[in-house]
Amino acid sequence: MQSTQMQPLTGKELEYISDSISNEDLLIKQLAATAGSTQNSTVNQICNQQIQSHTHHLGMLVQLLQQHQQYAPTQPQQ
Amino acid sequence: MADEDLLTMILDDLKRTVREYTTAATESNCQTVRRVFNDLTMDTLRIQGDLYYQMSQMGMYQAPDKALRQAVDKQIQSAQQTQQKSQQFVQQKMNGTGQFRQAPNVPQHQPNVHSSYYM
Repeated sequence: MQSTQMQPLTGKELEYISDSISNEDLLIKQLAATAGSTQNSTVNQICNQQIQSHTHHLGMLVQLLQQHQQYAPTQPQQ
Repeated sequence: MADEDLLTMILDDLKRTVREYTTAATESNCQTVRRVFNDLTMDTLRIQGDLYYQMSQMGMYQAPDKALRQAVDKQIQSAQQTQQKSQQFVQQKMNGTGQFRQAPNVPQHQPNVHSSYYM
Protein backbone atom coordinates (compact mmCIF):
# COMPACT_ATOMS: atom_id res chain seq x y z
CA MET A 1 0.00 0.00 0.00
CA GLN A 2 1.51 3.33 -0.99
CA SER A 3 1.55 6.18 1.48
CA THR A 4 -0.47 9.23 0.44
CA GLN A 5 1.13 11.37 3.13
CA MET A 6 2.77 14.55 1.88
CA GLN A 7 6.53 14.26 2.01
CA PRO A 8 9.21 16.94 1.71
CA LEU A 9 10.39 17.43 -1.86
CA THR A 10 13.65 15.74 -2.81
CA GLY A 11 16.29 17.82 -4.60
CA LYS A 12 15.53 15.91 -7.78
CA GLU A 13 11.78 16.60 -7.55
CA LEU A 14 12.51 20.29 -7.04
CA GLU A 15 14.70 20.31 -10.17
CA TYR A 16 12.02 18.55 -12.24
CA ILE A 17 9.37 21.00 -11.06
CA SER A 18 11.66 23.94 -11.84
CA ASP A 19 12.50 22.58 -15.33
CA SER A 20 8.80 21.91 -15.96
CA ILE A 21 7.90 25.50 -15.04
CA SER A 22 10.51 26.71 -17.58
CA ASN A 23 9.09 24.35 -20.23
CA GLU A 24 5.51 25.53 -19.67
CA ASP A 25 6.62 29.18 -19.68
CA LEU A 26 8.49 28.67 -22.97
CA LEU A 27 5.49 26.96 -24.57
CA ILE A 28 3.17 29.79 -23.49
CA LYS A 29 5.56 32.38 -24.96
CA GLN A 30 5.95 30.47 -28.24
CA LEU A 31 2.17 30.10 -28.54
CA ALA A 32 1.56 33.77 -27.73
CA ALA A 33 4.17 34.84 -30.32
CA THR A 34 2.56 32.57 -32.93
CA ALA A 35 -0.94 33.84 -32.08
CA GLY A 36 0.35 37.42 -32.38
CA SER A 37 1.99 36.97 -35.77
CA THR A 38 -0.45 34.68 -37.62
CA GLN A 39 -2.97 35.85 -40.22
CA ASN A 40 -4.83 32.55 -39.96
CA SER A 41 -7.82 32.62 -37.56
CA THR A 42 -7.70 28.81 -37.03
CA VAL A 43 -4.04 28.95 -35.98
CA ASN A 44 -4.88 31.87 -33.68
CA GLN A 45 -7.71 29.85 -32.10
CA ILE A 46 -5.50 26.76 -31.64
CA CYS A 47 -2.79 28.85 -29.97
CA ASN A 48 -5.25 30.50 -27.59
CA GLN A 49 -6.70 27.13 -26.55
CA GLN A 50 -3.21 25.76 -25.95
CA ILE A 51 -2.18 28.84 -23.95
CA GLN A 52 -5.08 28.17 -21.56
CA SER A 53 -3.95 24.55 -21.01
CA HIS A 54 -0.32 25.50 -20.37
CA THR A 55 -1.30 28.33 -18.06
CA HIS A 56 -3.27 25.75 -16.07
CA HIS A 57 -0.20 23.45 -15.99
CA LEU A 58 1.96 26.30 -14.76
CA GLY A 59 -0.55 26.93 -11.96
CA MET A 60 -0.48 23.22 -10.98
CA LEU A 61 3.32 23.28 -10.72
CA VAL A 62 3.39 26.47 -8.63
CA GLN A 63 0.71 24.98 -6.37
CA LEU A 64 2.79 21.81 -5.99
CA LEU A 65 5.72 23.88 -4.73
CA GLN A 66 3.50 25.80 -2.33
CA GLN A 67 1.93 22.59 -0.94
CA HIS A 68 5.39 21.28 -0.06
CA GLN A 69 6.87 24.51 1.23
CA GLN A 70 6.03 23.89 4.90
CA TYR A 71 7.53 20.35 4.84
CA ALA A 72 10.96 21.45 3.63
CA PRO A 73 13.64 21.17 6.34
CA THR A 74 15.42 24.39 7.21
CA GLN A 75 18.73 22.61 7.87
CA PRO A 76 20.52 19.94 5.80
CA GLN A 77 19.49 16.46 7.05
CA GLN A 78 22.01 13.84 8.25
CA MET B 1 8.59 32.73 -39.78
CA ALA B 2 5.71 30.77 -41.33
CA ASP B 3 2.89 29.42 -39.13
CA GLU B 4 3.88 25.90 -40.13
CA ASP B 5 7.45 26.36 -38.82
CA LEU B 6 6.28 27.96 -35.59
CA LEU B 7 3.71 25.21 -34.91
CA THR B 8 6.26 22.49 -35.75
CA MET B 9 8.63 23.95 -33.16
CA ILE B 10 5.80 23.97 -30.59
CA LEU B 11 4.87 20.38 -31.49
CA ASP B 12 8.50 19.28 -30.98
CA ASP B 13 8.64 21.06 -27.63
CA LEU B 14 5.42 19.31 -26.60
CA LYS B 15 6.94 15.91 -27.43
CA ARG B 16 10.01 16.76 -25.35
CA THR B 17 7.82 18.01 -22.48
CA VAL B 18 5.82 14.74 -22.44
CA ARG B 19 9.08 12.77 -22.17
CA GLU B 20 10.30 14.98 -19.35
CA TYR B 21 7.02 14.66 -17.42
CA THR B 22 7.19 10.86 -17.79
CA THR B 23 10.75 10.79 -16.47
CA ALA B 24 9.81 13.10 -13.60
CA ALA B 25 6.87 10.83 -12.66
CA THR B 26 9.06 7.72 -12.60
CA GLU B 27 11.64 9.46 -10.41
CA SER B 28 9.23 11.01 -7.91
CA ASN B 29 9.41 10.00 -4.27
CA CYS B 30 6.31 11.76 -2.93
CA GLN B 31 3.02 10.29 -4.16
CA THR B 32 1.46 13.75 -4.53
CA VAL B 33 4.32 14.85 -6.81
CA ARG B 34 4.08 11.63 -8.79
CA ARG B 35 0.33 12.08 -9.29
CA VAL B 36 0.77 15.67 -10.54
CA PHE B 37 3.51 14.61 -13.00
CA ASN B 38 1.33 11.70 -14.12
CA ASP B 39 -1.63 14.07 -14.73
CA LEU B 40 0.64 16.52 -16.57
CA THR B 41 2.01 13.68 -18.75
CA MET B 42 -1.49 12.62 -19.77
CA ASP B 43 -2.73 16.16 -20.38
CA THR B 44 0.37 17.17 -22.39
CA LEU B 45 0.00 14.01 -24.45
CA ARG B 46 -3.61 15.03 -25.18
CA ILE B 47 -2.56 18.58 -26.13
CA GLN B 48 0.22 17.27 -28.39
CA GLY B 49 -2.26 14.91 -30.07
CA ASP B 50 -4.75 17.75 -30.60
CA LEU B 51 -2.08 19.98 -32.17
CA TYR B 52 -0.81 17.18 -34.40
CA TYR B 53 -4.38 16.45 -35.58
CA GLN B 54 -5.14 20.11 -36.29
CA MET B 55 -1.83 20.59 -38.13
CA SER B 56 -2.47 17.50 -40.25
CA GLN B 57 -5.99 18.80 -41.03
CA MET B 58 -4.45 22.07 -42.28
CA GLY B 59 -1.94 20.13 -44.40
CA MET B 60 1.00 21.29 -42.26
CA TYR B 61 2.15 17.85 -41.22
CA GLN B 62 2.50 14.80 -43.39
CA ALA B 63 2.23 11.41 -41.71
CA PRO B 64 5.25 9.18 -42.41
CA ASP B 65 4.99 6.69 -45.30
CA LYS B 66 2.83 3.62 -44.74
CA ALA B 67 4.59 0.40 -43.78
CA LEU B 68 4.39 -2.22 -46.55
CA ARG B 69 2.45 -5.44 -45.99
CA GLN B 70 5.64 -7.44 -46.48
CA ALA B 71 7.34 -5.55 -43.62
CA VAL B 72 4.31 -6.01 -41.35
CA ASP B 73 4.18 -9.75 -42.13
CA LYS B 74 7.88 -10.07 -41.31
CA GLN B 75 7.41 -8.28 -38.00
CA ILE B 76 4.46 -10.50 -37.07
CA GLN B 77 6.53 -13.61 -37.74
CA SER B 78 9.40 -12.29 -35.66
CA ALA B 79 7.07 -11.14 -32.86
CA GLN B 80 5.40 -14.56 -32.69
CA GLN B 81 8.81 -16.22 -32.33
CA THR B 82 9.73 -13.79 -29.55
CA GLN B 83 6.39 -14.48 -27.85
CA GLN B 84 6.94 -18.23 -28.04
CA LYS B 85 10.53 -18.05 -26.75
CA SER B 86 9.44 -15.75 -23.95
CA GLN B 87 6.75 -18.23 -22.86
CA GLN B 88 9.24 -21.10 -23.02
CA PHE B 89 11.74 -19.16 -20.93
CA VAL B 90 9.12 -18.38 -18.27
CA GLN B 91 7.98 -22.02 -18.19
CA GLN B 92 11.57 -23.29 -17.82
CA LYS B 93 12.24 -20.88 -14.96
CA MET B 94 8.94 -21.58 -13.22
CA ASN B 95 9.40 -25.38 -13.48
CA GLY B 96 12.83 -25.05 -11.92
CA THR B 97 11.71 -23.33 -8.75
CA GLY B 98 11.69 -26.65 -6.82
CA GLN B 99 10.27 -26.34 -3.32
CA PHE B 100 8.64 -23.00 -4.18
CA ARG B 101 6.70 -24.56 -7.00
CA GLN B 102 2.94 -24.54 -6.53
CA ALA B 103 0.22 -26.24 -8.51
CA PRO B 104 -1.63 -23.59 -10.51
CA ASN B 105 -5.08 -22.84 -9.13
CA VAL B 106 -6.40 -21.82 -12.52
CA PRO B 107 -6.34 -23.90 -15.69
CA GLN B 108 -3.71 -22.98 -18.21
CA HIS B 109 -4.86 -20.20 -20.47
CA GLN B 110 -5.91 -21.23 -23.95
CA PRO B 111 -5.72 -18.61 -26.65
CA ASN B 112 -9.18 -17.39 -27.61
CA VAL B 113 -8.07 -16.14 -30.99
CA HIS B 114 -6.51 -18.13 -33.74
CA SER B 115 -5.74 -15.48 -36.28
CA SER B 116 -2.10 -14.79 -37.04
CA TYR B 117 -2.34 -11.45 -35.25
CA TYR B 118 -4.74 -9.46 -33.19
CA MET B 119 -5.30 -5.81 -32.30
